[in-house]
Amino acid sequence: MKKWICIICGHVYDEAKGMPESGIAPGTAFADLPEDWVCPECGSPKESFEPQDE
Amino acid sequence: MSHSPAAAASGRPEIDGAVFNPYAKDFIRDPHPAWQRLIRDFPLVWHKDLQMWLVNSHALCDEVLKDSRFTPNFRVWELAPPPKAEADKTDFDLAYEKGFFAVSTKDHLRLRRLTLPAFSRPVMAKIEAKIRDLVVECFDALGGAGRFDVYEAIASKLPVRAISRMVGVPTDREEFFHEFAVNIIKATRINISAREREAAVELTKPGFAYFKEQIAQRRTLPHPGEDFLGSLVGASDNGERLDDYEILSVVFALITAGSDTATDLHTFAIHGLLSNLKQYELLKRQPQLMENAIIELLRYGSFGKIPFFRFASEDIDFHGQTIRRGQAVGVNISCAWNDPAKYPDWNQLDLQRRLDGNLVFGAGAHFCIGTYLVRVQGGLMLSEFIRRYPEAELLDGTGELDYDYRHHNARRINRLVVRTNRVSLQQAA
Repeated sequence: MKKWICIICGHVYDEAKGMPESGIAPGTAFADLPEDWVCPECGSPKESFEPQDE
Repeated sequence: MSHSPAAAASGRPEIDGAVFNPYAKDFIRDPHPAWQRLIRDFPLVWHKDLQMWLVNSHALCDEVLKDSRFTPNFRVWELAPPPKAEADKTDFDLAYEKGFFAVSTKDHLRLRRLTLPAFSRPVMAKIEAKIRDLVVECFDALGGAGRFDVYEAIASKLPVRAISRMVGVPTDREEFFHEFAVNIIKATRINISAREREAAVELTKPGFAYFKEQIAQRRTLPHPGEDFLGSLVGASDNGERLDDYEILSVVFALITAGSDTATDLHTFAIHGLLSNLKQYELLKRQPQLMENAIIELLRYGSFGKIPFFRFASEDIDFHGQTIRRGQAVGVNISCAWNDPAKYPDWNQLDLQRRLDGNLVFGAGAHFCIGTYLVRVQGGLMLSEFIRRYPEAELLDGTGELDYDYRHHNARRINRLVVRTNRVSLQQAA
């Protein structure tokens, strides 16, 4: 399971945790998020995210 | 004088300064009647005096901020000065062209990627200790004062000192640095005259010269330094580094965002809390609310008077109107923070408010890069204020509030007197 970081604001999407409060189950891969999903912090689109180096 | 929407021959809704005048004293003291009218009656409207579209509702502001066709690039404006020959460009011109607002989407993402580490939450946490020292210094200078002016003692000093320390400006150059910041901001304000903008660009020259020298010096060192400037000089993306003008553009983005606007955070945060003492008590009991409190205090204070500027990079059909290429669009963000459609109780300070989808730091590609710095700095200041003055109150119930009505951008509070009530605590003990 990977983590993805928004390079606009630094928000991290953790695939292991998902976003259950927004209906995204733990374990949901970033690639499987809807195409129109946006960063919950800044509203940037998926293309603003990159895999986070551990 | 009342005005109803005057539809021009083109059919677009129009208003003028009688409906919205951000320079009027009444507006600066209480913007809410004008803002509520704009939200209700004119969510998207052409302002004849300001010569720009105004976007006033939360939903429309959100949409514009996330639409890259509305660019912050000043050079796209239909009334921007003509492009200069390369030999005539100033350091300001060169840094602006390499900066966040002017580069392509691809280059913008590259700049944000390279600079993210310097602004990230973990890095801000590391500099927290340095900012805490500055906060304590500001409050220590007050001694056992029974009252003080928040603007003079804290707001006018702390933000510029914090930014100066971040970028490595010596203490004795802080005023020089502050002047640089003000003139950087003025250089692309479309709400001032071309002559004033040009004068501001001239006044940025000493600041640019100083930072160019600093960057050159850092590049000669085996390690460019642990501070913010050092991290920009050392930033690398697959071997690619930032050039001098890219670094300068980031420095001036930090300065503009972090010193002038952060000044208002301090006054409006304290004014907001001491005008709502139950919320002040809540924050004292639940300090874990601090980060949410900062954002809500910014929303509630709504100190911006001039909308954010965007420019149509092409003809855009937007909610029944055609916005022509080059036209200015004022994203009236402070107005939008008080939209009843988003916050039915907009006029209440609620430190526990759910702030999902808020626009306090903007939205989209140009989301405030300093958001974590603001939260750290604001949180440290308020924590120290609460620790020292748990029984503080506004002097005479108003704080003898006054504004700088001529400020170019904000409803700038320049006088806010609080009574510390420290004596009463000492007597009680």
